[in-house]
Amino acid sequence: MLMTGAQYIESLRKLKTRVYLFGEEIENWVDHPMIRPSIDCVAVTYDLAHDPQYTDLMTAKSILNGETINRFCNIHQSTDDLRKKVKMQRLLGQKTASCFQRCVGMDSFNAVYSTTFEVDKKYGTTYHQNFLKYLKFVQENDLVVDGAMTDPKGDRGLAPSKQKDPDLFLRIVERRPDGIVIRGSKAHQTGSINSHEHLIMPTMAMGEEDKDYAVSFACPTDADGIYMIYGRQSCDTRKLEPDADVDLGNHKYGGQEALVVFDNVFIPNDRIFLCGEYDFATMLVERFAGYHRQSYGGCKVGVGDVIIGAAALAADYNGASKATHIKDKLIEMTHLNETLYCCGIACSAEGYPTAAGNYQIDLLLANVCKQNVTRFPYEIVRLAEDIAGGLMVTMPSERDFRSDLKVGKKGETIGDICNKYFAGSPTCTTEERMRVLRFLENICLGSAAVGYRTESMHGAGSPQAQRIMIARQGNIEGKKALAKAILDI
Amino acid sequence: MKCGVRFCGGCNPRYDRGTAYEIIKQNLQEKIQFEYAQEGVTYDILLVIGGCTNCCASYEQYIAKRGLIKIWDMDEIDKTIKILKDFE
Repeated sequence: MLMTGAQYIESLRKLKTRVYLFGEEIENWVDHPMIRPSIDCVAVTYDLAHDPQYTDLMTAKSILNGETINRFCNIHQSTDDLRKKVKMQRLLGQKTASCFQRCVGMDSFNAVYSTTFEVDKKYGTTYHQNFLKYLKFVQENDLVVDGAMTDPKGDRGLAPSKQKDPDLFLRIVERRPDGIVIRGSKAHQTGSINSHEHLIMPTMAMGEEDKDYAVSFACPTDADGIYMIYGRQSCDTRKLEPDADVDLGNHKYGGQEALVVFDNVFIPNDRIFLCGEYDFATMLVERFAGYHRQSYGGCKVGVGDVIIGAAALAADYNGASKATHIKDKLIEMTHLNETLYCCGIACSAEGYPTAAGNYQIDLLLANVCKQNVTRFPYEIVRLAEDIAGGLMVTMPSERDFRSDLKVGKKGETIGDICNKYFAGSPTCTTEERMRVLRFLENICLGSAAVGYRTESMHGAGSPQAQRIMIARQGNIEGKKALAKAILDI
Repeated sequence: MKCGVRFCGGCNPRYDRGTAYEIIKQNLQEKIQFEYAQEGVTYDILLVIGGCTNCCASYEQYIAKRGLIKIWDMDEIDKTIKILKDFE
């Protein structure tokens, strides 16, 4: 079943998800003005799957039964699937200029699929069968799943079991014949409130003393004991202003993060995918992180496409589009953006089959991809700010532009004055110019900067995490041998 | 004549694929019945509309008795219309 965006939104209303924001419980969180743009953004992943112009990227064939499914529920069956994943993400970035939140689920499915297969092979467990059953449920119902990895971590210098507060890493607190009880939390969870389900993974490599923390499982978002505290974003309360539109920058879509708390949550046996096999925590983390680092070579590129377009429009509206330096800056932005895409496509094209049969990206190239993503978007928005000019942060509010309060000697209103002094090229209205500049403000330093800037830095692992992986995969000894061979050393 | 139409996914199209399709359809609507390609349906011809030279749309799942035409550039439209017109 492929849901539509409208069906997805209605499906969220049936959940009893507990959401807290500004210290209060939000009963109708689906229609809350600070949350709804992020829900509408996920809805695009559903609607485009029904549009013939996009179905080739937005849908795939289920590895379980050959049925057509949303690609976000897909297990990658070839390098072509890996490439199409990146292309789909670019497409959705272009359509939303936001984080569309559904990638973590897809990336966790693929990591858990291959890892459970190998755990079972070593230990004779049944985690892979558990996961296949769960995957069938997800695919048949076209669900959004929050693939959750990041623990709060507390003192970064200490292992999970050595923390003063043991809850700072999510863990098993009780083992029962019919399942396990979980306590702890997952931080920075993108789209968690908008998800039907949560798929939990350990956050890093673990030793035997940490085996209670080496746990992977799935549960409904509204399971007893789960609640979420909404992460606030720069300028987020603009969404609460009456009739807010232009000042929002992107009045249609947005992203979302939250702290997800597990307060003694029971997980039945058939939803457990790892339970104490600490030696497989690294495999699961590296595979998920690898997929997610590939993802950024698609989604951020799509958002980058919109930023480049907005910067070019700003130049048009400022009457500066013919200036050589403006043209050159747009070329530089395009070069940076397409370089990110090259990495996303390259790590996909060089993918390989795992023992379970699904395809994994090339780990070195995926980490190079993400390392570039920690840098290039910052340069892209720097150039966008350069082209836009200071007005993007000094402009009066849209209420001023619409004000009929008379302030001038000839009866001019505040709106008249704003429209007079902030007019640009005659090719646009003052409102159109405002809209483009507010969009750039939003993406450079407003609520969308969470997704385009800081998420580019820390999402899917901070820069140093990629450098560690690049060091492991970089084969310096092999490169020394190349030099020696040329030099007869 | 029945023509199945398959688009690529449109990740970074260099032209408006939808407009290209509309132009082709308008020029040939009296001769050819166009529809979005569906599995299990037999078409006389399959038209694959890609957004760039890669033209990566999957189409192996569709049945076309008499051939396949790929387009990945706005400049290909006239040629495509002529080929389809000449198709008997």
